[in-house]
Amino acid sequence: MAKNLKLKAARAGRDLSQQELAELVGVSRQTINAIEKGEYNPTIKLCRAICRALGTTLNDLFWEENEE
Amino acid sequence: MKNVKSNLDEMQEAKLLQIEHKGCWLAFWGLLAAMIVELFVFGVENMRYFIGEWIVFMVLCIYMTDACLRNGIWDRRLKADRKTNLTISLIAGAAAGLIFAAVSLVRYHSVPGAIASFALLFVFVGICCFLALSLTAREYRKKLAQLENDGEEDA
Repeated sequence: MAKNLKLKAARAGRDLSQQELAELVGVSRQTINAIEKGEYNPTIKLCRAICRALGTTLNDLFWEENEE
Repeated sequence: MKNVKSNLDEMQEAKLLQIEHKGCWLAFWGLLAAMIVELFVFGVENMRYFIGEWIVFMVLCIYMTDACLRNGIWDRRLKADRKTNLTISLIAGAAAGLIFAAVSLVRYHSVPGAIASFALLFVFVGICCFLALSLTAREYRKKLAQLENDGEEDA
């Protein structure tokens, strides 16, 4: 799985650490880290929670063109 | 009892399920291996010495079979057809036959006895396995058809 750089950029844009984002969405820091590194594929429920916390949409963070 | 809030998030939950999955299969193959070793140590006539392992093993097998059938699940790769069931039954029969033949040879040093054990177990286990697989495959197909049709009108 490819790294989710869009998520990392959006989080950095909001000046949030992985820990702070994790607390906002109610998961562990290691889960946010794994999503950013492309090691974990989150559920749609968690994707929505992350989008709400960062004020973005699913398309902005999780849609990829030319995805296999 | 009140539902206690989980300490795990969804990724940790998924990881724990993976760990439990591996632990379950470790227990399954470990129990089977333990029973085979005990069969060599105690012999066929003293199977009562490992009745505990056998009961736990059978409970595990029955639970997994029942849970899979209730959810319309057969196997990741194998198909629930007659040809596959027959192949699996022949393999199971041959495996059981070889194990009992080896036990017979090691404990009683009799080649004709080992051959007879192999033949008897091959036929007996092969037939039982094929019947059990045919029966469960039929139940699986029924359940799958039911699950596929359920809620179609609500969509």
